[in-house]
Amino acid sequence: MSGRTRAGALIVSTATLFTAPSPAADDPAVLRDLTAVIALQGQPCGQVLTATKQGDNDYIVACKDGSRYRVFVNAEGRVVVQKQ
Amino acid sequence: MLGSVTLGNSAGAVVVSVLVLLSHTSDRTPPGSRRTDGVAGRETVRPVPVPEKEAESPRSGERATPVEPPKPSVSAPSAKPPVSRKSGTPPGGIATGGLAQKESEPPQESQPPKASAPPTETVPRPETAPPTEAALPSPAPPATAATLDLSSLETRLRETKAIGVFTKLSLKNQVDDLLEEFREFHKSPDRSMLTRLRQAYDLLLLKVLSLLQDGDPVLARDISSSREALWSILTDPDKFKDL
Repeated sequence: MSGRTRAGALIVSTATLFTAPSPAADDPAVLRDLTAVIALQGQPCGQVLTATKQGDNDYIVACKDGSRYRVFVNAEGRVVVQKQ
Repeated sequence: MLGSVTLGNSAGAVVVSVLVLLSHTSDRTPPGSRRTDGVAGRETVRPVPVPEKEAESPRSGERATPVEPPKPSVSAPSAKPPVSRKSGTPPGGIATGGLAQKESEPPQESQPPKASAPPTETVPRPETAPPTEAALPSPAPPATAATLDLSSLETRLRETKAIGVFTKLSLKNQVDDLLEEFREFHKSPDRSMLTRLRQAYDLLLLKVLSLLQDGDPVLARDISSSREALWSILTDPDKFKDL
């Protein structure tokens, strides 16, 4: 039983680790936020379709027009939109 | 010879007298025409306003050319012919009104262009000119209200859910950049720099309003209404130091 429990815990934790970045892509509020940020920075995008969370305040986004950006907050507290 | 002459003369005199009588009788049928042939005719015809308008230039021609033949024909229908000329289809009764209208219309047509052209030019100029220059002095009263609401506006902007965290951060970055430019401006005031700052300020406010207008329209309205007050704070060195 303990072996099965350990295995189950491993599977769950692994799944959690791999699935953690994806929820951001499903949250429309985050997508809107990222779309607005990219627009505010004056970069072409149209609309953010998917966003993958890389870390705290760090996303890789895919736009409707095909372009991809990394949107993150740097050490100085500034929002940076980097073309990928 | 003498008898024939006297007879001829008497006959001629009779013929002449008969002709004179006939002419008098024929003249009596239209008495007005005979009078108009005289001095009164000229007076009655000339005061008619219509011929004066059309024939202001022809007057000299009328005076030089035989005056009497046209006047009898004109004097009888003195009012009607001019009316029919100007009004065309309308009958005489209406024609007087039409004349009055047309008499007043030419001046109106001549005046309105003068009056209409200047207002169109003069009205926009004061409207366009003051907003740019008078924008600074006018917001003085709302400035006090805006200063009071400044902190609440900031709090509401921080707490609103209409703007995401990333967007708020990005906006804050841009606000800080703009404030830095204002600091430089107050160190060395330059009129051209102020114009550029105004453009940047308007653009930033436009971004904020576009982000808020759907999610938090009340806050968007409040920020929009305090636009000039905020600008007056930013441009006033003393108020800017207090920020």
